[in-house]
Amino acid sequence: MADARPDISAVFASRAKRYGGTLFGIVEEHREFWRQIFQLAAADLVKTYRGSALGWLWALIKPSVTIFVYWFAFAIGLRASKSVNGFPFSLWLIAGILPWFYISEMLTQGTTTLKRYSYLVTKIKFPVSTIATFVSLSKFYVHLALTAIVIVIFIVFGYPVDVYYLQLPLYMALMFAFFTVWSMFAAPLSAISKDFANVVSSFVMAIFWMSGVMWDVNQIKNPWLSRLLLFNPVTFIATGYRNVFIYKRWFFQDSFALMAFGVVFTAMVLLTLFTYHRLRRDIADVL
Amino acid sequence: MTTEETTTKTDDIAIEFKNVSKRYKLYRSDKHRFLGIFSKRIGFKEIYANSHLSFTIKRGESVAAIGKNGAGKSTMLKMITGVVFPTTGQITVNGRVSALLELTAGFDAELTGRENITLRGQIWGLSKDAIAALEKEVVEFADIGDYMDQPMRTYSSGMKARVGFAISASINPEILVVDEALSVGDKAFREKCDRKIREIMEKENVTVIFVTHSRTAAESICNRGLVLEKGRLAFDGPIKEALDYYEGPREPVAPIPGTAITDA
Repeated sequence: MADARPDISAVFASRAKRYGGTLFGIVEEHREFWRQIFQLAAADLVKTYRGSALGWLWALIKPSVTIFVYWFAFAIGLRASKSVNGFPFSLWLIAGILPWFYISEMLTQGTTTLKRYSYLVTKIKFPVSTIATFVSLSKFYVHLALTAIVIVIFIVFGYPVDVYYLQLPLYMALMFAFFTVWSMFAAPLSAISKDFANVVSSFVMAIFWMSGVMWDVNQIKNPWLSRLLLFNPVTFIATGYRNVFIYKRWFFQDSFALMAFGVVFTAMVLLTLFTYHRLRRDIADVL
Repeated sequence: MTTEETTTKTDDIAIEFKNVSKRYKLYRSDKHRFLGIFSKRIGFKEIYANSHLSFTIKRGESVAAIGKNGAGKSTMLKMITGVVFPTTGQITVNGRVSALLELTAGFDAELTGRENITLRGQIWGLSKDAIAALEKEVVEFADIGDYMDQPMRTYSSGMKARVGFAISASINPEILVVDEALSVGDKAFREKCDRKIREIMEKENVTVIFVTHSRTAAESICNRGLVLEKGRLAFDGPIKEALDYYEGPREPVAPIPGTAITDA
């Protein structure tokens, strides 16, 4: 038993060094390529919406239809449209579903980035980790535009911008960081296995309904269950956006939610470093 | 030569391979490959495309890589271009590499030819002015008319190759990697490419790696030959001796007339 201890710490030290090196490598790639990341994000955005007659409007039409469908199902069909904290149900719905459009794009398309950009991996010398970042950034631009529209909608409905909006950039940044890391984790895996991308895309609907997008996590009576659900980052983000728009709560008021997100985010980063370290050099061999 | 020797040694070296090996893992299926990420117990076959390659190529040298199909030339070239990573060993590459390998690849099919030029310029980190200059040069050289502003998925392979060649040739490479099997459109365009390649090679201090099976082409361009056999470096020396080694005790192959670099 006495011998086991230094052994474990030695293993830990070598792991820490290895993953520290991987992290450093990723950060370096981003530092060297930051200008290109913005340029490629712009190109990705142009590509997404070109070639259709309505072009940019699609970025607006799709979320509008989705919101209308859910509003219709709940308010008209299920008659479950009570106002929340003085806000009509439709605004409550919009506030929570706003981040979901970015999240769902990152869950599906963020997983297949390396396949879609395989020419950057196998044909040109390119810092592969930045692919996740510029795709995420391109989706994030759309999210910024949608957020602006949502803010306008709230103003039109008679709810002016207040001091709670100050925390909106924080939730945006956390969401962007988490799902960019997610894409760095998922894209190499789906490059290697078709199953992985299929698993993710078949779980998107499940994630949507099991996260606090369509219901309020704080309304759940069982305290253990509601705490457990806060470990879901989608729940954290959706609730965060509602903190800004509807509940008028500060992010630090629910320290448990913040802590739970921190734990999951750290785990995600470690998992990403593990797979990225394992796979970076093999991606070009299998794509 | 004497002036070069006074400069620092690392400056002289364009490419250095130190005991480089490349192993490809062949799994039974994609499922096994996936599980292999998480468990070391999943079995796989090992194929060494390159093993224990060690050589140094100096700045300005022209080297022919010779070997049969499957000897590991492509893997070696991909490692020089930085797309594929060695399993073990060290590779040093000093200078901007331009590869004339798969000309039709490396484009975003959804973007137009012109946008792809810009994209490539941006990836290389060129300034706006430099990208504009690159675009002008590529448009002129590729000469595909109005197709330049159409998405590249609508291109024929010949058109893609024209744009591909024009881009790769226009970046003023310090290290030029050319594959002989490069087929670039019709005869007139091939000749244009040949002239362009020679023009680049004649520049001082441009290092050339040239993959070929043709004795005449190799002798006309290169002064050194690397012969690869089953992933190993079997011979490294003056081009004539390298070709003799490669052709071995067999009857010498009749020289192919002309010294075209690219063939159809």
